[in-house]
Amino acid sequence: MSEQVQKPKYTPDPNSAKYKLNEITVKHYREVQEAKDRGEKIGWCASNFPQEIFQTLGIKVCYPENQAAAIAARGAGEKMCNVSEADGYSNDICAYARISLAYMKVKDAPEQNMPQPDFVLCCNNICNCMIKWYENIAKELNIPMILIDIPFNPDYEVSDSQVAYVKGQFLAAIKQLEEITGKKWSEKRFKEVMEISNRTSRAWLEATSYTKYTPSPLNGFDLLNHMAVAVCARGTIEAAEAFETLLEEYKQAVIDGTSTFRAEEKYRIMFEGIACWPHLRVTATGLKSRGINMVATIYADAFGFIYNDFDGLIRAYCNVPNAMNLEHARDKREAIIKKTSAEGLLVHTNRSCKLWSGFMYEMSRQIGEHCDIPVASFDGDQADPRNFSEAQYETRVQGLSEIMDANKEGK
Amino acid sequence: MSVNELFNKFHEIASSPKEQLDTYLAQGKEVVACVPIYTPEEIIHSMGMVPFGAWGADMEVKEAKRYFPAFICSIMQSILELGMTGAYNGVSAIVIPSLCDSLKCLGQNWKYAVKDIPFIPMTYPQNRNNEVGKAFCRASYEKVIQDLEATTNTKFSEEALSNSIAVYNEHNKVMREFSEVCSKYSFISASQRSDVFKSAYFMLKEEHSSLLKQLLEEIKSMPKEETKKVKIVTSGILADSKSLLEIFDNNDMQIVADDIAHESRQYRIDITEKGSSLDALAEKFSNMENCSVLYDADKKRVEFILDLVKKHEAQGVVVLMTKFCDPEEFDLVPIMRACKEEGIQFVQIEVDRQMVNYEQAKTMIQTFKEML
Ligand code: SF4
Ligand code: SF4
Repeated sequence: MSEQVQKPKYTPDPNSAKYKLNEITVKHYREVQEAKDRGEKIGWCASNFPQEIFQTLGIKVCYPENQAAAIAARGAGEKMCNVSEADGYSNDICAYARISLAYMKVKDAPEQNMPQPDFVLCCNNICNCMIKWYENIAKELNIPMILIDIPFNPDYEVSDSQVAYVKGQFLAAIKQLEEITGKKWSEKRFKEVMEISNRTSRAWLEATSYTKYTPSPLNGFDLLNHMAVAVCARGTIEAAEAFETLLEEYKQAVIDGTSTFRAEEKYRIMFEGIACWPHLRVTATGLKSRGINMVATIYADAFGFIYNDFDGLIRAYCNVPNAMNLEHARDKREAIIKKTSAEGLLVHTNRSCKLWSGFMYEMSRQIGEHCDIPVASFDGDQADPRNFSEAQYETRVQGLSEIMDANKEGK
Repeated sequence: MSVNELFNKFHEIASSPKEQLDTYLAQGKEVVACVPIYTPEEIIHSMGMVPFGAWGADMEVKEAKRYFPAFICSIMQSILELGMTGAYNGVSAIVIPSLCDSLKCLGQNWKYAVKDIPFIPMTYPQNRNNEVGKAFCRASYEKVIQDLEATTNTKFSEEALSNSIAVYNEHNKVMREFSEVCSKYSFISASQRSDVFKSAYFMLKEEHSSLLKQLLEEIKSMPKEETKKVKIVTSGILADSKSLLEIFDNNDMQIVADDIAHESRQYRIDITEKGSSLDALAEKFSNMENCSVLYDADKKRVEFILDLVKKHEAQGVVVLMTKFCDPEEFDLVPIMRACKEEGIQFVQIEVDRQMVNYEQAKTMIQTFKEML
């Protein structure tokens, strides 16, 4: 659900986390293209599909959500949406899906290209929209689709029956992929991949937790960029090392009192939802110019999967933020707010994402009350630039900062 | 009763859910609201309660706006609105499945917006036609049973379920027959047809079957006539808007088959009892297909619609698109494309429970008719 978006303006130090992370993204797209060129079967994959499966099998995939975010951030969201709308897709459909369906058709987007798929890997633990989107790709391109159905969990804890169901599908997916690609499963390799994935996730979660320091050693928007690596390369040593470097840098920054947030950190907020990629600069500046740093986001947690064994792995994928009930999702956020001492909550009501926005009014009300912080929301869209109003955004952010100000004075 | 009297009866029931609800409550029955698209009604029925369809209503949404942003479909919005404004008072619980993203949200909002009617989730498997899928489906049914027993004064038994399965299979059969009859007797209006489908949600199925059997008897004794109407197949989630049905009728359109979630999609699959009745129920769900909220990698639904058209010699397909329904919006494109390739006339009309102006729909249907 994310993508590296800022082109470096200078040549960064090749030992820096930023450089390494950027290299991983570039390499990721390159490798999948090379695999395709070699005649290997490659897939398009949902961001939260258990990557342990294809990492173990040595199969290369790319991520339509990352690609759509990159295309949107580089200014071509509307152009691509227009292509799929001309084909009959409603403009009410998730803009990532519209961009992806357009790309499948035009097969070229200079903003971010990737090879066409030989199969699709779908997992609906983030949304059911994903199922429909991938069905349409599979039908249109006449390629196989593998679905791991991880239903939205209405209960707080994941039930044993759900674990059994997902496990069964996990095993079936391995078999299907072996058949499609001719590659073979290895238990030994699976163990390695699980270890590496845990190592990456631990480093990622620890690095992102550094926003708990006041002032924070990082601008929270950095995480939105780095997340692409957490999505696409979690199972690789390079990603583990890059996040460990990032962690070291944050540690040092705390000691040195420096930060990538290049303004005085007057307020600390939680930002809820996916970034507005087409308006990233405006939304980031709207915060920075007021000294507001985003120190909390559920996103950081969304791609850190920590587990001890196969069952734990399954449970981790059942427990991603969009698959949780309101109470569980709320408690997770409240814990983050408390840990990071966020003083306000800014909610992106994302027109693309029905699931994310569909019970957010109530959830954010409860969070605001329980944490005693002000809540403001703005209307936007992660990838369709037409659904965002800068004026509304400014007003809402201004309002939020005024209440945070008043709260500070009152204290 | 005469055919007309019977149709009037269905109309009365379809247009007065509140009265139906109150009548059941007055009889001392417990009622459980059932939200689209599929709920295990058989279970509720077997526990001696009345499963009562809750598909929202054509109305203005006010209170629900505190919970739902504007881009959630009006079926979800109006169900919540009805709940918040007391239309379901007296109902013992509401079962909400999570087959689309908006439905997942309805359940979560319900807990806080309508605190006095307990929310019972039903989680279906999408990978349904295999052993792990069926086992999960069964476990979800068991959870629903647990929740129902906890919130109502009832007990579950496999034997009672077996009886209810027979009632539901019988009802499926008559509903399918009714749809067939509508394709042969063109005097039946689109509004009358809809009344029969809609009233089924507000009655015990045995009562509905028995009334419908009377109607079918009467109709079948009438001479068949050559239809002069335009034969169409409808597709979509819902087709119960009065104004829209009037437009069909004023334009002499005869619905010869439908792929509407609120109508025939409910009645396609029977339950075959082998082994335990709960397993049979899970088996039924595993066999369900051709629906936008059920995983369908091969998009068999597209072929299914084309077959309906061919089988009933329909002249065109009318898709009634519920605004903001993303499962249907995705399916629309391959359906539209297939119709084009097959030379089948096709029109898409946007519908919304908050719609008041049907001028555009009227013009579109008139133009569509002229093209046929
Ligand atoms: S609907 Fe939401 S969760 Fe699903 S792909 Fe779109 S943005 Fe992501
Ligand atoms: S399937 Fe469509 S109409 Fe039904 S609840 Fe979901 S979005 Fe609304």
